[in-house]
Amino acid sequence: MDYYGYIGKILRVNLSTKEIRVEDLDEISINLVLGCSGYAAKMLIEELEPGIDPLSSANKIIFATGPLTGTLCPSGGSYELCFKSPLTKSWCQSRSGGSFGPKIKKAGFDFIIIEGKSEKPVYLWIRNEVVEIHDAFHLWGRNVETSTNIILKEIDAPDASVAVIGVAGENMVKFACVINDRGRAAGRGGGGAILGSKNLKAIAVNGSMDIRVHNPEKFMEVITKAETALSKYPFESINQFGTPLLVNILNTNGCLPTKYFNYSTFTDAEEISGEKLTEKYLIKRRACFGCSMGCGRYSEVDEGKWATPPQEGPEYETIAMFGALCLNNDLESIIRSNYLCNNYGMDTISTGSVIAFLMECYEKGILSKQQVDNLDLSWGNSNVIVDLVHKIARREGIGNLLAEGTAHTAEQLGPEAQKIALHVKGMELPAHEPRGESKTLGLQYAVSPRGACHMHPNWASTWDSGNFESGLTEFGMPWPPADKFAEEGHKKGIAYRLVILHGEISEILGCCIFHSWGGKDECLTPQLYGEILRSLTGLNKSNEQLLLAAERSWTIKKCFNVREGFSRKDDRLPLLMFKPLKDGPAKNECIKNLEAMLDEYYEAFGWNKISGIPEVESLRKLDLEFLSEKIPLVE
Amino acid sequence: MRKTLVVVATNCTGCRRCEMWCSMKHKKVINTERSAIHVLRREPSIDTPLVCLQCGNCLGACPKDAIQRNKKTGAIEIKLDLCTGCGFCLTACPYGLITMDKVDKHAIKCDLCGGDPECVKHCKEDAILYLDLERAASYRREEAAKFQQKKVRDTY
Repeated sequence: MDYYGYIGKILRVNLSTKEIRVEDLDEISINLVLGCSGYAAKMLIEELEPGIDPLSSANKIIFATGPLTGTLCPSGGSYELCFKSPLTKSWCQSRSGGSFGPKIKKAGFDFIIIEGKSEKPVYLWIRNEVVEIHDAFHLWGRNVETSTNIILKEIDAPDASVAVIGVAGENMVKFACVINDRGRAAGRGGGGAILGSKNLKAIAVNGSMDIRVHNPEKFMEVITKAETALSKYPFESINQFGTPLLVNILNTNGCLPTKYFNYSTFTDAEEISGEKLTEKYLIKRRACFGCSMGCGRYSEVDEGKWATPPQEGPEYETIAMFGALCLNNDLESIIRSNYLCNNYGMDTISTGSVIAFLMECYEKGILSKQQVDNLDLSWGNSNVIVDLVHKIARREGIGNLLAEGTAHTAEQLGPEAQKIALHVKGMELPAHEPRGESKTLGLQYAVSPRGACHMHPNWASTWDSGNFESGLTEFGMPWPPADKFAEEGHKKGIAYRLVILHGEISEILGCCIFHSWGGKDECLTPQLYGEILRSLTGLNKSNEQLLLAAERSWTIKKCFNVREGFSRKDDRLPLLMFKPLKDGPAKNECIKNLEAMLDEYYEAFGWNKISGIPEVESLRKLDLEFLSEKIPLVE
Repeated sequence: MRKTLVVVATNCTGCRRCEMWCSMKHKKVINTERSAIHVLRREPSIDTPLVCLQCGNCLGACPKDAIQRNKKTGAIEIKLDLCTGCGFCLTACPYGLITMDKVDKHAIKCDLCGGDPECVKHCKEDAILYLDLERAASYRREEAAKFQQKKVRDTY
């Protein structure tokens, strides 16, 4: 088939046999789920055996792009890393920006699938359909920046994009990430540990191939329309302050997790705010490929104890995790921690959270000083926070335990620790307090396939807390939105289903979610995505069919988890979420009836309420009957 | 009055939308490698658009007289029906801003889109401007002065 938007090819590299295969895109899958993480989910559920060890050679990891990746779609700089997570043992996908995703397409592929395990460390060099496996023995043990520099020199292509793991990935830290373009992370869930387990240090890509456009005149017209819509985007100050702009906003609204979620406001928030970062440390703004927003930070600390060379970030999550969550008001130490995490290749959310968890255990007397290598784990001790980053990545002392993630650490420390550990399905909670921000967000933490997540597949608070219509009323979004603190009986199941589908659309098209919120003429709505998709690819998909593809993608990911044994019993929240907040504007708020919200959510998708598993009928409606052979179904 | 392109590199975020618009406009495909404008990202901290200044150095280099000045816009344009892809103009350009299109086998060079450059229209950051000649010249003088100043600062 002749493809527009898509390239039409899949690269499959088996590191055990060193076999390199190029396959055609499967038209049936394109028709069902369009691409990117949806397409990758379909491949993984078909190709992986259930119950495999995520760090064994049986696991596969996919670098997935979508039809809109690397195009003029204003948010198309993304790729999704898709795999079975070593942290959660569930479905996992991690999005990253920069230029790696677009370069995969320019190199001639839509997907790169990595299988097997290399005996010796290697890296891949892919350009214009040529694939080479290079020795990486000399790179093993080196950090992200050095490895990137050495590889770019060796392949003699300064414009190439390199995705690489650092020491954390080599050491198979369960939340190690893959860093591309030096500072953009496919952060969550431990994709870096999988590359480490496969002895794959890096992938370098470059290319000069066309992305063809089906209807150029129409496409340019639609893109101009999208640019105009985004000029009215409601978060305009995100350009100026980046995601750290949220520090002050969330603090004011009582949803900035502080002292390991014990509080929801931080007295020193101003000290670690996006405004302060911009004023004192920002060198410039940086955009991902093709992004008209440019929220990326590029900052440095030029002198002092935490002197840090120019580096991407820190983003909001990093600042909140290493800052408010640990009661740390020293922004320079946060910038330093961000730099270290990037260079070790480690998820800043999980790293910050596991450090705060350790501090909480220490304060509660669950751990003795000897057990923590005689570190002074007092809240806000920035020296120790930075020390722990080193220890986790290198698996030294207590770091070796923390490197296994919060759930495993808590299990080792006993029931008292397990009671206060904050994770869902093994994934640490990110820096949005659902009790203060949005009860829908609480629901999302419970049900998201990769565990507690504020972004997969969408920012759940967009409807009840954000008041953003985002073009969804046309598809039945209840309007006006319910109160953000309301739980059951307010159509939150129906609303959240549409929020999910909107997010899933950008995920299967290969886009960043950040342009998706606003009024219906202020952001990239499903309607606008539909127009872009049609003019770019020539695929005859109505907006309804686009939503249907998104629902299929979400359902396949759900079924991936069902097959791994996940069901309603795993759609849980940590105990603390059911206790009232102690401070701030949302004081006394808590999750009161998760069960009722779960009922509404399963019902909205047509899933069985008792088991939380999709029913045969709902799979049939989505043309996903093939999944019924793969999962235990409720008739 | 005629206009010319001016780059404000400090405004550039490195999104490369200008390159994509350029290839879309001229080649009807998305390909930053087939664009007449070039954005370079180099570490640390450099993102900069590079544009043809229409200096005319390439005018005499073409053995087929395929390179001609557009009297209206001032742009030096390559007449594609005459261009054989010999590459002499690439040799002549002191800035490396003429490239070879490997698909169509002819040279690629900025033609100012006939006086309405796409890159300028779609740059949200105002990193590429299309200014009246006198304003552009004055701007360039200021930039040159700032550059000298920076050199002095870096030295001492």
